[in-house]
Order: sequence, then structure tokens, then C-alpha cells
Amino acid sequence: MPVKEFKLPDVGEGVAEGELVTWLVAPGDRVEEDQAVAEVETDKALVEVPSRYDGTVEELFVEEGEIVPVGDVIISFRVGEDGDGGGTEGEATGEPTGDSDAGATESATGASAEAESEADAEEPATPSGRTFAPPSARRLARELGVDIAAVDGSGPGGRISEADVRAHAEDDGDSDDGPSVKSASDAPDPKPAPTPTDSGSSGRKSAVKKRGGSGAGSGSEAAATASTGAAAPGPAGRETTLATPATRKVARELGVDIDDVPTDETRDGEAFVTGEDVRAYAEAPESAGEAAEASADASAPEPKSVDVSTSADAAGATGASPASESVSTDETVPYRGVRRTIGKQMERSKYTAPHVTHHDTVAVDALVEAREELKPRAEEQGVNLTYMPFVMKAIVAGLKEYPSLNSELREDEEEIVLKGDYNLGIAVATDAGLMVPVVENVDEKGLFELAEEVRDLASRARERELKPAEMKGGTFSITNFGAIGGEYATPIINYPETAILGLGAIEERPVARDGEVVAAPTLPLSLSIDHRVIDGAVAAEFANTVMEHLEHPLLLLTH
Amino acid sequence: MVVGDIATGTEVLVIGAGPGGYVAAIRAAQEGLDTTLVEKDAYGGACLNRGCIPSKALITGSGLAHEAGNAESMGIHADPAVDMGKMVEWKDGVVDRLTGGVEKLCKANGVNLIEGTASFADAHTARVAHGGEGQGSESIEFEHAIVATGSRPIQIPGFDFAEDHVWSSAEALDAKTVPDRLGIVGGGYIGMELATTYAKLGSDVTVVEMLDDILDPYEDDVKRIVRKRAEELGVEFHFGEGASEWSEGADGGYLLHTETEDGDESTYGVDKVLVAVGRRPVTDGLDLEQAGVETDDRGFIETDDRTRTAVDHVHAVGDVAGDPMLAHAASKEGIVAAEVIAGEPAALDQQAIPAAVFTDPEIGTVGLTEDEAEAEGFDPVVGEMPFNASGRAMTTGHTEGFVRLVADDETGFVLGAQIVGPEASELIAEAALAIEMGATLEDVAATVHTHPTLAEAVMEAAENARGQAIHTLNR
Ligand SMILES: Cc1cc2nc3c(=O)[nH]c(=O)nc-3n(C[C@H](O)[C@H](O)[C@H](O)COP(=O)(O)OP(=O)(O)OC[C@H]3O[C@@H](n4cnc5c(N)ncnc54)[C@H](O)[C@@H]3O)c2cc1C
Repeated sequence: MPVKEFKLPDVGEGVAEGELVTWLVAPGDRVEEDQAVAEVETDKALVEVPSRYDGTVEELFVEEGEIVPVGDVIISFRVGEDGDGGGTEGEATGEPTGDSDAGATESATGASAEAESEADAEEPATPSGRTFAPPSARRLARELGVDIAAVDGSGPGGRISEADVRAHAEDDGDSDDGPSVKSASDAPDPKPAPTPTDSGSSGRKSAVKKRGGSGAGSGSEAAATASTGAAAPGPAGRETTLATPATRKVARELGVDIDDVPTDETRDGEAFVTGEDVRAYAEAPESAGEAAEASADASAPEPKSVDVSTSADAAGATGASPASESVSTDETVPYRGVRRTIGKQMERSKYTAPHVTHHDTVAVDALVEAREELKPRAEEQGVNLTYMPFVMKAIVAGLKEYPSLNSELREDEEEIVLKGDYNLGIAVATDAGLMVPVVENVDEKGLFELAEEVRDLASRARERELKPAEMKGGTFSITNFGAIGGEYATPIINYPETAILGLGAIEERPVARDGEVVAAPTLPLSLSIDHRVIDGAVAAEFANTVMEHLEHPLLLLTH
Repeated sequence: MVVGDIATGTEVLVIGAGPGGYVAAIRAAQEGLDTTLVEKDAYGGACLNRGCIPSKALITGSGLAHEAGNAESMGIHADPAVDMGKMVEWKDGVVDRLTGGVEKLCKANGVNLIEGTASFADAHTARVAHGGEGQGSESIEFEHAIVATGSRPIQIPGFDFAEDHVWSSAEALDAKTVPDRLGIVGGGYIGMELATTYAKLGSDVTVVEMLDDILDPYEDDVKRIVRKRAEELGVEFHFGEGASEWSEGADGGYLLHTETEDGDESTYGVDKVLVAVGRRPVTDGLDLEQAGVETDDRGFIETDDRTRTAVDHVHAVGDVAGDPMLAHAASKEGIVAAEVIAGEPAALDQQAIPAAVFTDPEIGTVGLTEDEAEAEGFDPVVGEMPFNASGRAMTTGHTEGFVRLVADDETGFVLGAQIVGPEASELIAEAALAIEMGATLEDVAATVHTHPTLAEAVMEAAENARGQAIHTLNR
């Protein structure tokens, strides 16, 4: 039983090394040819490295988390009695025609192992590397990740047919196709296999917008199923619905039209739906058996079971194994459009500006009172007075005292720009993702004016009717995650601004007063700053000033 | 927490609505991608408005007039009068139908159409300036862009297209009258197609060409047949001469001055000068560098076999991405670009791209010539069928030319074809299919072809290569 070594294969695209993220096998495990043994992450993609042999894992040479150069031996296998004999015991260089000595147990260390050489020896059938195959076969080869030059053609003159390509794909232990790419971002991927949660719509590309009514279609499908369940509430069929992006994602994944999800909750006068609402609505008609099965799956994953790859390469291998467990319920959602724009922006901010988040809580009894008092007057003018304008004013007071939080760092020019305007961006969750309309010159505006402007911007943001200019020129941002719930967060700065204030929910919480714990309305604050520009002490002082103005709203009159 | 400003967003932005761009846009939309197509001028690009289609219209019109007037041997006596204005009007009607169709198709497939001139602001934003002063502009955020801005005629020093008597191919395809004397600078395919057209319309055509023959990329026996026929039509050729300037002639016309490498000068009397010395990519004003895309020293955008530029999410297709500068190549590239963006396993993996020249007779070529096959390491075998042995060719009155197939001797795979003769532009399609499918000479020879057709000549050429031809002597 020879020991075969296996090196990290070239995963293509000029990648020279990869991080071994996870071993999917352990020494002693039996593996089949093409079974994935490890996941390796390059800067381009997470790839699965398939075994080239049937056999038993002998030894792993690399720790999880280690960076491995292409060509380094990562694993050795003890393979079955298929050797042709005659090799020298103990050499274990992994030559494809290695020995079959049953006594060999030594671990392989030969750095010169040439496990891949087999495939290299295969010669293209024609000069100049040209292969003769119809376009359909060539495309299939790309789809299956098969190097068509390595396929044996069965047609006249060695012409390659689609059947030849398929046969090669199923039998490519000898090929140098390399690992199957699971999530390369740019190279054309093998088409993802439809997953159980796929709602059956044909448009698969866009996370932004699906044309041809597929969205509506899946919604009504879900609605139709829902109405068959006895206890299922009927579709609500609203025009618009407020929900966080995460909730909308859940709805998309479950094929639920969010406007159909019943809810009693409202925000800003509009129906508000949570992720639980969506799940409850989607699951209502499902049988108890199914649900139990699903949760069993989720709670008891096989520790070392091989992840079922969606790639066509691995399909052959998994087809052979018992299909009882491990049917993947993962869904792949494209990382595109606004989602990616948000992602890039977050990435840029978080990786450029060292964030520090300062947390504090302010008791706001007086603020609550002040608002209560002003509210009817605001209503007379048709304005719905929220706490936001007070907070904005308090922030301006703080910014005036600590201008470094109202700034931008221009790295290239090596200068910090202290902004003369007080333009506050307000993060708004919309269908399309997070948007940040900007209220300009907050210092010059009254509370009612601010309230009205925030309402207008937020509603137009949800309608996607904002003009680009209305999202520009911010000097400091506010994110009111408390509107959805929660106390503290670690907001990401709206780069190139240098600070952002997150507002928790104003709720009654225990507060110590004169040696006693009493209930008082409090507002939790989370202030993230770019530590390159702002020191922690300044951030704390700024927060103190803001809190002082919220605690004693009369102070706002002094600005 | 934040997305900066979101302007109009699109998943795929296509710049230029020629055969590269509009095809890319339609396929992208078919793939379910949100697609925006920006065109600054006219849908259909050079091809539909001032290239392939207008030239073929005039070639057919002039050919018909010429045929009718030269068919005494068939017993037809006619002296057709050509109303050039009317012919151009008819051509415009064809163009309008086609460009209108392109616009409709785009809309029907859900492509957002924007009229204006696009340029890159950064790697994910383009600005579109709407035509005319004060018409404003908008920015478009895109995830992927496909640059399909095409090419324009090269202008040479001393010959300004702004001058009335200096034509580019565009003006030559829009002339209301036929010039008595037409000088043509450049004997490439555009120059030769228009030389044939105007000769048939009655112009005295003079072609000056720097090289020592016409149609540089083609084989000698192919060129010879076309040149001989052009000479029969009265076209005068001056090889080894470059156009240097023009001056006003005594007769109210102009003098076209030329110079050889050794400094020998000549002048030719002309009424119009058509400059057809090639086309260069349109990238000016695009601000490609804002997207991080560079052009090579000839101004073309370099792309890989998935039409990607150095910047992965920016693709380039068609003339702007370099050779072959042909409409069908542009369209194929457009389809691949859209499919790659959609995540399909598409690639420019075709074995060959056919090309046609609509001279008299026509030329159609695809794949390798005998020499090229040899250079690539094949052991080529060649089969030919001259049209003067084709019954159908005789009945059309056009028997010049031949079909030649090049194949690999060992395996029989068809590698290339050169056809010169009647309908060569149509006949080449069969050879292209054979090459693309990996067909062998036997496959082509054993496919029954209709009699009597010109296409039989393709079958005969395959049989000839196998030493089994019936109607020609086997080599
Ligand atoms: C006389 C002549 C005859 C020809 N005959 C043939 C033939 O028989 N067969 C053949 O295959 N080919 C022929 N061609 C070549 C063919 O026309 C081109 O290969 C083809 O048009 C290239 O297509 P394209 O999409 O790359 O570019 P184009 O067709 O040039 O289209 C580019 C488009 O982009 C637009 N555009 C450019 N910049 C911008 C911008 N910044 N913003 C918005 N829009 C922009 C332009 O207005 C244009 O409409 C001929 C060409 C000529 C001139």
C-alpha cells in the first residue's frame, strides 16, 4: 500500500499561495477520489481541494490557518492495492506508479513529490495545442471546469464530443484540473445548483432587481402555499412595508413578499416587519415533520462530514456517497449592486480608519418633557416632532466645541480639514439598503424645520427618490438603530467623515439617583471616531457635551 | 454605516450601440441584468449607419445597374440610368428600418436607452453628457461596463474630411451624385469595395496604394482575381505611391498628388478624393484612465478571452478592442461580455472568425491558409474547386474564382477556407461551420449538397482534397 503525497495545486489566476482554512478530513479517514479534503482560501476565492486518490488519509502536513505556497505538500494518502509493485520501500515520493509495499508507514517528506506530473504527460492531440471540438463541447468543458486539451476525443480524427467531455469530468482523477472553484468572484463559475430554497425564478443574477416579475411571482407562490395552511394568516398585501435590510434578505431567501407579512407593529406610521414575522409567515403552512427535520439538521452537524460542494466536479463524488445527511440548505446570494456598494464603503471605512467606539447613556427626563410640550405645537404646524432634531442640535453644540469631530482627513495632502458647515447625515434603512441623506446647516435651522426635513429626506430615501446631491456633503453622521431596537452598537464611520453617533432606543431603564435605583427614560449613545484624527479623551468630552445638552435641553437655546 | 451618493444605478453599462454594444446590451438584459445602453449618435453604430449595410446597399444597387447594362451575351440590351439621389434615399430607408429595429429590440428586451456621450468618472461611475449645449448630464453608477465605442476613419495629413471634396467612407456612402473622377487613397477592403461600386456607377476610379498590391492580408491568387476584375471595370491602380496633398486643378476639379518612397511624384486629376487608409479606435473623451483602463500604443483596449480589460469589471468589445475589426466579431464579443458578466462560462473560444470582402467577385475567408497551417505545425492538404467548373456559376455568368479548403492531412480536420467568386460571402459560412464543429474533409464531402448551386463547390473542394473529386482533376 503506497503512500501518495499531494501538493497544493495551482488554483489558477496567478495565485501563488493560499491559506488552509479547514481540513475536511483527518488522518485515518477514508477518502474517495475527488472528495474534497481541504478548503483553501486565496485572495481570489475559497476553493476546495479534491483528493486525487481513493485511500486513507495518512498525514496532514499543514495546520489550519497556515499560509501554504502552491506546490507544497499538504497531505499524504495511503492508497489501495493498485500499485504496480517494484518501488523502493520508504521512498514514498508520490510518483503515480508508486510501490505497493504493505509495510510502508513512514510519513512522506519528499519535497520533490510530483503527484501532478501524470496529467502533464498527456499530450495534446494536435500541433499547436488546438483541439477539435464543437462549440457546445468547448462550452461544456468550461462549465465543468475541464481542460479540453486533456480530453480524449472519441470522434473521427480524435474529435471531442460532449459525451467525451462528460466522461472526462467524471473520471478526472488523473487530470490537472485543479480544485473546484466554489466562489471565485470574477471567473465564470460553474452555475450554482438550484437549492431547496430557490424560489424557482429564472433570474438568478441580480440582487438588486429581478426583472420579469419573478419577485412578484415568488411572492404570490408563497402566498398561495400560505393560504393552504389552516392556521396561516392570509397575506397582508400592503403597498409598502418598513423592515431592516436583514429582514428583507430573509424574506427574499424564503420567497416571501414582505408586503404580505402580517404585523401589528408600526414605525413612523408604517407597518414594520421583523425577521421573526417573516419566518413565522413563511413556515406557517409547513408540516411539523419538515420543521423538525430542518431543525435537527441545523442542530446536529456532522463534525467532520464533507461539505457538499455545489460544483459539478464534486457532484459525481457525492452522488456515490449515501445521500442521507448533508444535503446543503445553503443559498448563494449574489454580492452585487447596492449590497456591494455598501460593502465596499464599509470595508473602506473600517479598514482605513481605526475605529474606536465610546459608549455612554444619558437620562433624558427633561428632553422627554420638552418634546411632550412642543409636540402639540409642532402638530399645529403639521410637523411630527421626534427626538432627532434635539439630538442634532445637541451634536452641533458638541461639534462647535470639538471641531475635530466635524472633519475630514485628507491622507494624500497630509491635512485634516475642519469643516465650517454642520451638515448631518442621517442613516436610513431602505429596500435597496442603507442610504444617508444629509441635512445641511443644522446650526441654522429650527427644531420643527429639522423635523420636517428629516422626515422628508427619510421618506424619499425609502422611495429611492433622493437626488445624489442630497446624499453629499455630510460632515458628521447619525445612525438611529434604536428605532429598530437595541442599546449599543459599534457604528462604522461614514468615511471620509471622522465620527458617527449611534442612538439606542429611548426607554425607561434603571438609573441610580440619590442612592436609589429608579426608572428613568435614557438614551444610550455609541460614538465611533477615527482614532487617527480624534483622541479618545476628546471623543468622551464631545459625548459629555452632547449629553449635557440632552439632559438639559434648555441649553439648546444658547446655540 | 453608509453608502455615499447613489446616482442612477445599473448593473451593466454599455457604451456605444454598434453591433458590439447593442448585442451585448440585449444579451445582458436577457440574462436578467439591469442594463443601460448609452449611444451618442445613432443606434446600430458604424455598421448600420455608415459601414456594412450602406455599403452593401450601394454595392448591390451599382452591381444591378452594371449587370443589366452588360448582359448582351444573355440577350439583354439595356442602358440603365442611375438616379444616385434616389439610390441613396433607398439605402437610407434600409438603414432607418434596421436602426429602428435595433432600438425596438433593445426596448423590448428591457434595455434602458440613454442618448448622450459617456465618459468614465471613476471605476464604477460614468457621466453621460446629453447632446447639445446646456442639455445637462447625469451620472450612472455601474457594476460592470462594456466599452463598445467602435472606430472612426483615419485622417491623413493634408486631407481634411471637413473639405467638401475629401471623403471618408461615410461621405462616399451618402453622395447625392456620382463624381466623374474619384481618387481613392488606400486599396484595403473598404477602398476596394467603394472602388468597385463607383466604377460600376460610371466614375473613373484611380486607386493609389502605398504597398505593391491591394487587399494586403489576402493570398496572391485571391488578390489577383479581384484586381484583374477591377481593372476590367476601368479602375486604375498606382502601387507604391502615397498620397501627399491635393491642389486645385485647372478644370475646376482637383489634383491628387502622390509620392513614392524614392520621392518620385505624380498627380492625378480627380473630382473627389476618398481616403480609406484604415480605422482607428474611438477612445478620446472616454476618460478611460479614470476607470483604470489603458490603451495600447495604437489606442486599442487590450482584453482577454473573456473580453475583460485590465480592470476586471470593465469589458471592451468590437473595433475598440482591436482586430478583427468586423461587425460579427464585435457581436460575438458583445455576447461573451454579457454572458461573462452574468457568470456564464462563456469565452471567445471560436476557432476562427470569417471575413468577407464585397468586391467583384467577392472574397470569403475563414481560418488558416495553407502557409499558416504549415506554420502552426500541421501537415496541410488542400482541395480546390474552380468556379469555371461549376454549372451554377456558369448560369450566373460569373465563373471567375475558386473554393479552396485547407485541412490537416493526418486527421482530416478542416482548418481553413479561401473562397473568391460569386456569393463567396455566403459560401464561407459553411466552411466556418465545418471548422467550428471540428468537421473533417470526409464530413464535408459526404454531406449531400443541392444541385445546381454554388455551394456544391465547397463539397467538390473537399472531395478534391481527398483525391476523389468528380468534376475536377484530382491533384
Ligand atoms: C464602409 C465600411 C464598410 C464596412 N463593411 C463591413 C462588412 O461588410 N462586414 C463587417 O463585418 N464589418 C464591416 N465594417 C466594419 C464594421 O462597421 C465595424 O467592425 C463595426 O461597426 C464595429 O462595431 P462596434 O460595435 O465595435 O463599433 P461601431 O459600430 O463603430 O459603434 C460604436 C458606437 O459607439 C458610439 N460611441 C462612441 N463613443 C461613445 C461615447 N463616448 N458615448 C456614447 N456612444 C459612443 C458611436 O456613436 C457608435 O454608434 C465596415 C466599416 C465601414 C466603415
